[in-house]
Amino acid sequence: MTRPLRRRIVLSVVMIALALFVAIPLYFIVINTFKTQAGMVGSPLAPPTELFFGNYHDVFTDPRIYRSFLNTLYVTAAAVLLQLLVGALAAYAMIMHTSRLNTVIANLLLIGFVVPGQSTLIPLYRMLVGMKLVDDLNGLIIMYLGGSIFCYFLIQGYMRTLPYEMIEAARIDGAGALRIFWSVVLPLIKPILVTVGVFQTMWVWNDFLIPTVFISSPAKRTVVLQVYNAVSEFTTDWPMFMTVSVVALIPMVIFFIFTQRHIVSGLLAGGVKG
Amino acid sequence: MSLTATATITRAKRRGRKAGWRQITASQAFLLPATIIFIVLFIVPLGQSFWWSLTDFTGYNPNPNFIGFANYATILQDPSMLAGLLFTLLFAVGTTVLITALAIPLAVQLNKVFFGRNLVRSLWFFPAIPSMAILGLVWRYILSPLDSGVVNSVLVKLGLDSVGWLSTDALAKVSVIVVGVWAATGWHAVLYTAYLQSIPAEYYEVAKIDGATSRQQFFGITLPLLTPAMVISTFLLMTGGLKVFDLPYTLTNGGPGFSTYTITQSIVVSGVGQGRYGLASALAVLFTFAVGILSFSQLALTKVIERRFS
Repeated sequence: MTRPLRRRIVLSVVMIALALFVAIPLYFIVINTFKTQAGMVGSPLAPPTELFFGNYHDVFTDPRIYRSFLNTLYVTAAAVLLQLLVGALAAYAMIMHTSRLNTVIANLLLIGFVVPGQSTLIPLYRMLVGMKLVDDLNGLIIMYLGGSIFCYFLIQGYMRTLPYEMIEAARIDGAGALRIFWSVVLPLIKPILVTVGVFQTMWVWNDFLIPTVFISSPAKRTVVLQVYNAVSEFTTDWPMFMTVSVVALIPMVIFFIFTQRHIVSGLLAGGVKG
Repeated sequence: MSLTATATITRAKRRGRKAGWRQITASQAFLLPATIIFIVLFIVPLGQSFWWSLTDFTGYNPNPNFIGFANYATILQDPSMLAGLLFTLLFAVGTTVLITALAIPLAVQLNKVFFGRNLVRSLWFFPAIPSMAILGLVWRYILSPLDSGVVNSVLVKLGLDSVGWLSTDALAKVSVIVVGVWAATGWHAVLYTAYLQSIPAEYYEVAKIDGATSRQQFFGITLPLLTPAMVISTFLLMTGGLKVFDLPYTLTNGGPGFSTYTITQSIVVSGVGQGRYGLASALAVLFTFAVGILSFSQLALTKVIERRFS
């Protein structure tokens, strides 16, 4: 029994060492938030000799960071909820009624599943300029609605595995289509809604391309945009920038801890359904 | 069969049909939001992109002229666009190959039992969680070509010369790709672990009884059974690689020169920044075709593999 044990110890040591090496950048960001500028330049990789909280104090007394959090929260919540609603409604419609028209629509929707945002960026930019929705958080939400098609595909893949009899039974009991959707379908598809919601939240919250193209006023920046602009602002004050980054990362870390399980199951679902 | 029975059946039928009509209306109504989004956010702009790509539309000329494929020819002569095209391809292929080569062995190890496995998996997986733009900015400081950059300050302390990680063409390209690999290897390893867990343990037991070495087991059992996972992972990596924007934009801003310029940055700069809609649309159309061909071949490949494995 000693040989497998020894092998296991060797594997542990090697794997932990490798993982710690991969994590150096994360270690590096966090330790430098507790240093002054001079302390960081002198020895960027050493742990701080004394804890300096001035950076955190400065970040948390800056109203702009709160503003950008509120902006991101608003855009992410609205965009993801709308995406899920539109996707789930469409998926339910396809399950409820299969006609030739619906089959044609379903096949066409594949285009929306495949086409990347970059392909439509310029015409949509012109469209939002025309609608006076450039440099407007609601304009961002409209852009993110394109993600509804992705939601639709994952949700309808999951719906096909559900027992159709439950919906049928509700209909025989005289429930209307909308009522069946709210009280039968939505509870049944909760697992896939959570999984898809987690993925879309990560996309919208972290997205840089759409905010950087569509947002110009400092008051309307998302968190990622705020961090990006902090770099040019604190040109040489890197500890300050690291602190802004850490503060921006905290919500994502908490989110990750609570949703890790769903992310892995989502990797599988996304994979199986293509 | 009594008369009442027949009456009940007809009534049921009629009610069924009535409910059916109501159902069809509801179904169509529920599809409406998705259809509107699809038309407004996909079909119309795709059509516009394609049409603009054949014109000299700039946003300043109200009546753009049809100029055929001249914009497509311009792309091949424009140094920044050509550089963006080439680096994007290099990034997509480079990260796909390297991540696949690293993630599969990593997944095999992560699938074994050892102390601290959850911690190791989380550390590898973590870079996939935060925004790539923020990570790119952090790496910009780590790889800064100045002596104060993290890697360079270590080199200087060891008595070596500092290296221009982000200031020479070739090294900048390598740096962007390495950071891209760092960020996504853990994510894809977790994807592979999920598939590894579905391989029945008996396969390995039988192989062991037959005297197969662990290398033979890996190439004879693990790798073939991971084919479906590889199709998905490489597809995600290729499309993600072609779409890359955040990382090079924040790490090197496309430089030095245009050595780490990307297709997306080209589209944004020439289209939104300079208002050269025709030219930027031509690039967008080429890009759409590349991603489309890749996606449909992946879908076809998945179907073939599913048929073979079931």
